[in-house]
Amino acid sequence: MEVKIENLKKQFGQVIGVKDLDLNVRDGEFVALLGPSGCGKTTTLLMLAGIYKPTDGTIRFGDRVVNQVQPRDRNIGMVFQSYALYPHMTVFGNISYPLKLKKVPKQEQMERVERVANTMGIGGLLDRRPGQLSGGQQQRVALGRALVKEPDILLFDEPLSNLDARLRLTMRSEIKQLQNRLGITAIYVTHDQVEAMTMADRIAVMNQGVLQAFDTPEDLYDRPKTLFVAGFVGNPPMNFADVSVMAEHGGFTARNESIRLQVPAERGQKAAAAGKVRMGIRPEDIHVVDEGDAVTAEVVIVEPLGRDAMLDVRFGSDQFLVLADPQKHIRAGDQVKLHFDMDSVQFFDLQSERSLLWN
Amino acid sequence: MAALAHSDDTPGVLDVHSLLRTIRNGLIVVVALSLIVVILTAFLRPLIASVKVDESVTTTLAQLVILVLPYIAYIAAGSAVRDQLSDHPLRAVLTALLATLVLFVVISIGHFVFHLGPFVPTSSLEMTFTEAEGGALVESLVPGGVAEEAGVQVGDLITAVRRDPVTSGTLSALIARSAEDSPFRLRIVRGGEETQLTVRTVLAGNDDLGKLLPGLVVALIVTAVAIFWPGQWTPYVILLAILLPLLIGYFWLIIATFSYRTEGLIPLDGQGNVGGWTLNNWNFLFGADISGLNVSIWQITLNSLIIAVAMMVIVLLVSSMAGYALSRMNFAGRRAFLSFTLVLHGFPAVTLLIPIFFVMSYLGKVPLVGEFIGFNKPVGISLVMVAFELPLGVWLMKGFFDNIPWDIERSALIDGASRWRTYWEILLPQIRPGILALGIFAFIGGWNAFLIPQTYSTGAGTINLPVFLRQLINETAPVNWNQVAAVGMFQLIPVFIIFIFAQEYLLNIYAGGTKGSS
Ligand SMILES: Nc1ncnc2c1ncn2[C@@H]1O[C@H](COP(=O)(O)OP(=O)(O)O)[C@@H](O)[C@H]1O
Ligand SMILES: [Mg+2]
Repeated sequence: MEVKIENLKKQFGQVIGVKDLDLNVRDGEFVALLGPSGCGKTTTLLMLAGIYKPTDGTIRFGDRVVNQVQPRDRNIGMVFQSYALYPHMTVFGNISYPLKLKKVPKQEQMERVERVANTMGIGGLLDRRPGQLSGGQQQRVALGRALVKEPDILLFDEPLSNLDARLRLTMRSEIKQLQNRLGITAIYVTHDQVEAMTMADRIAVMNQGVLQAFDTPEDLYDRPKTLFVAGFVGNPPMNFADVSVMAEHGGFTARNESIRLQVPAERGQKAAAAGKVRMGIRPEDIHVVDEGDAVTAEVVIVEPLGRDAMLDVRFGSDQFLVLADPQKHIRAGDQVKLHFDMDSVQFFDLQSERSLLWN
Repeated sequence: MAALAHSDDTPGVLDVHSLLRTIRNGLIVVVALSLIVVILTAFLRPLIASVKVDESVTTTLAQLVILVLPYIAYIAAGSAVRDQLSDHPLRAVLTALLATLVLFVVISIGHFVFHLGPFVPTSSLEMTFTEAEGGALVESLVPGGVAEEAGVQVGDLITAVRRDPVTSGTLSALIARSAEDSPFRLRIVRGGEETQLTVRTVLAGNDDLGKLLPGLVVALIVTAVAIFWPGQWTPYVILLAILLPLLIGYFWLIIATFSYRTEGLIPLDGQGNVGGWTLNNWNFLFGADISGLNVSIWQITLNSLIIAVAMMVIVLLVSSMAGYALSRMNFAGRRAFLSFTLVLHGFPAVTLLIPIFFVMSYLGKVPLVGEFIGFNKPVGISLVMVAFELPLGVWLMKGFFDNIPWDIERSALIDGASRWRTYWEILLPQIRPGILALGIFAFIGGWNAFLIPQTYSTGAGTINLPVFLRQLINETAPVNWNQVAAVGMFQLIPVFIIFIFAQEYLLNIYAGGTKGSS
C-alpha cells in the first residue's frame, strides 16, 4: 500500500507537533522516521494510525484519503515502544484480539495465531500472560499482534528502544527480513540512526516538526543536503570548520587561519563562489600521519573505542574529532599530524545551511 | 592471633572500661530525658498556660517521661553489653547489673531531691493503722499531725468513712486516691462509744527508704530482660501495645452479646456472680420486638441491603464512566468539573439535609418512579448517599484510569475495537482491583449509613440497621446494652466477612492500578 502525505500539520494548542510534512512512501517500502526526541515522529505515526486527526493536510492510503477514517478501518498494524500488550489477556488472547474483533471464525483464529506465533518464535508461550514474559518476548508478541491481521501498513514507534543492545541487533534483522518477505509497507520511527541506516530503504530525517531530508541511507551519509542532516547522521558526528574556498594555482584550496587544504576541483568549484562557507568532514576521513603535507594539532582528549581511538584535537580555533589506530598510543597533550581525505568533503552555505554540492 | 589478643585483653570477670561505658550510656539517657522533663514543665507548661489553654498535656507528658525514664536508662545499660554477650556472657551480665545499680542510686537521689517516683508526696492523715476486727485500728500518730490535731487517739477503731464501712486496706486506698485537703469524716469507736471526727488530708513528703527495694528488684529484672531480649520482637510488642485497646473493644463486644451483663470484661449474672452466659440478647433475630417498633429485623436488614447494593451499583457505574471521561477525554469545563468535584468531596453532608428533603419530597410526587425514589424510600435514600459518595468515587476512578498507559488504548483502537469496547474489554479489566475496592467501600458505606437514613426515613418499615440500633438507645427507659451490642455485632458480621476476603483489594485503593501488570 502506497502512503502519500501532503502538507500534513498537527498542532496541540500552541505547540506545533508536525509542520507541513510531505512524504511519499512506495508500496512495500521500509521508511524510517529519524529525528531527535520530541521532533514529531510519534505524532506523525499516530496521525497515520488515525489516533490523532491532522490539523491540516491530507493522508492517502493508495488513492483513498483517510483523514476521517477510524483507526479500525485503516487496516494497519502498530508496534509500540511500551509494547502495549493487554496485561489481563494471555499471549493467545493478545494476538487473537484483532481477529476476534474482525469476527474471524474461531478455528481460523487459532490457525492464524499459531502461524504468526511460530513465525515469531513464541509458539510455546501462548498461554502465558505478558507479565510473565521477558522484554524480547513481549516485543515479539506485540509484533505478532500487529502482523496477524495481515495489515496493509505496519507502523513501528521505537519498538526496540526498551531492549538490550544484543537483542536489539537480532530483532533489527528479524523485523527487516520479515517485512521484506511479507512485502508490507512499513514506517518505522526511531531516534537511533544506526537502526534507521541498517533497516530502512529510505530515511526521513525530521527536526522540530519539519522534514529535513528524505533519502536513501547512502545519500544521507555521503550527500547530505542540509547542515542538520550532515551533523545528525553519522557517529561520531561530522566535523565542521568555517573556511573560504579559493581557486589557486589551477586547483582549489579551502583555508582559514589555521588550515589550508587542497579541494578536488569538482567540489571546490561549487563552493568557491560562495565566500565564507562551512566545511564538513567526517572523522574517518581524517588520518593521523607521520609525514607529509599535514595539519599539526594538539590532542585534548583520547577516548578508546576498542577498534579505534577517538581523538579530540584542536588546531587554531577549531576542534575536531579524529579516529586513530589505538596501536599508536597517542595521549592527551601530544602533537599529531593530520591528513585530510578531501574526496568526501562537504560544503554548506552559512545562511541557508543548505549543501553547496547536492542541491 | 586475634582471638589470643582478645583473651589477653580481658583478664578478670569485670572490665572497668566496659562498665564505665555502660554507666555512661545510661546516664546519657537519664540526662536527656530529664532535660525533656525540664523543658516540658519549666518552659512549655508556663508558655502554654500563659495563653490560657489547658496545659494538662504537657503535665501528662512530663509525668510519663518521669515514669519511664529509669526503665529506659536500665534498658540502655542492658543493651550496651549485648555485643559482648556471646564472648563473655558472665562479664556482660555482671557489668550491666552493676551499671544498673549505679544508675539506680543516681536516679533515686534524683527522685529524692525532686520528690518524684517513690518519694512523691502523697495524701496522708499523718497516722498509721492496722487491720482489726470491724475496721482499722490506729497504731501511731505523727506528733502535731492533722489526725492528732483533729482528736484521733492511738487505739481508736475506725469503722467507716461517712457511711461506707472500711478496712485498713480500703482506708489506705481511699487516702492515697484523695486530693490534698480532702475531708475524711471518720466514724470511730473508742471505748465502746461511737464518735465522728473530720480529718483533712495533707501532702506529706515520703522518705521511706524501704520503698526503694522493690524498685531495685524491678530495675535489675528490666536490665536482665534488656540483655537477653530478642531484638526482632520489639516491633511486634510495640504494635501489640498500640493495638490492645482496639482488641479489648472487640473482645468486650463479643462477651457482651453472650452475657446477661458485664462489668469491664467480666460477664456477670443478675446476682453479680461471674457467669451469666445467655443467648437472650440474640432473640431479636427470632421475632422478639426489642425496640417496640413492631417491625421484623429481616425487613430492617433488607432495607440496609437495598441501600448498600444500590450505593455500590450506582457509584460503580457512574464513577467508572465519569472517571474514564475525565481521564481520557478533553471537553469544555473538564478542569472546572474536576475542581468542583474535589470541593464537593469535602462538603459536609449535614448542611444539605433540609434542601435535599425538599428535593426528595418533590421526587416522591413524580408518577411511577416516585414510588421508589422519593422521601422515606430505601432507594431514594441511597440516591442521596450516592450523590455524596460520587465525588470520591469519580476521583479514585480517574486516578486508576490515569495509570493505564495511553498506548494500550491506542493499540486496542488500532486492533479494531470501538471506543466503548476498548473501555469495557481492555481498560476496565485492568482496574479491576480499583473497581472492587470502590465497590466494597460503597457497599460498606451504604450498609453502615446512619445520618441520611435517620433523617429521611420515618416509618418503622423503612429504617435500616444503624437507625434501628439508635432506636434501641432510648432516652427514657433503661438501655439493655448487651442487646445493643448484639444488634451491633449482627450489623458487623457482613463487614467482617467482606474485610476478611477483600482486604487485598481494599489496600489497593491507596496504591492505585493493577500491581505487577504490563
Ligand atoms: N497529546 C499531545 N498534547 C500536546 N502536545 C503534544 C502531544 N503529543 C505530542 N506533543 C508535542 O508535540 C511534539 C512532538 O512530540 P512527539 O511526536 O511525541 O515527538 P517524538 O515522538 O519525535 O519524540 C513535542 O513537543 C510534544 O511535546
Ligand atoms: Mg515518540
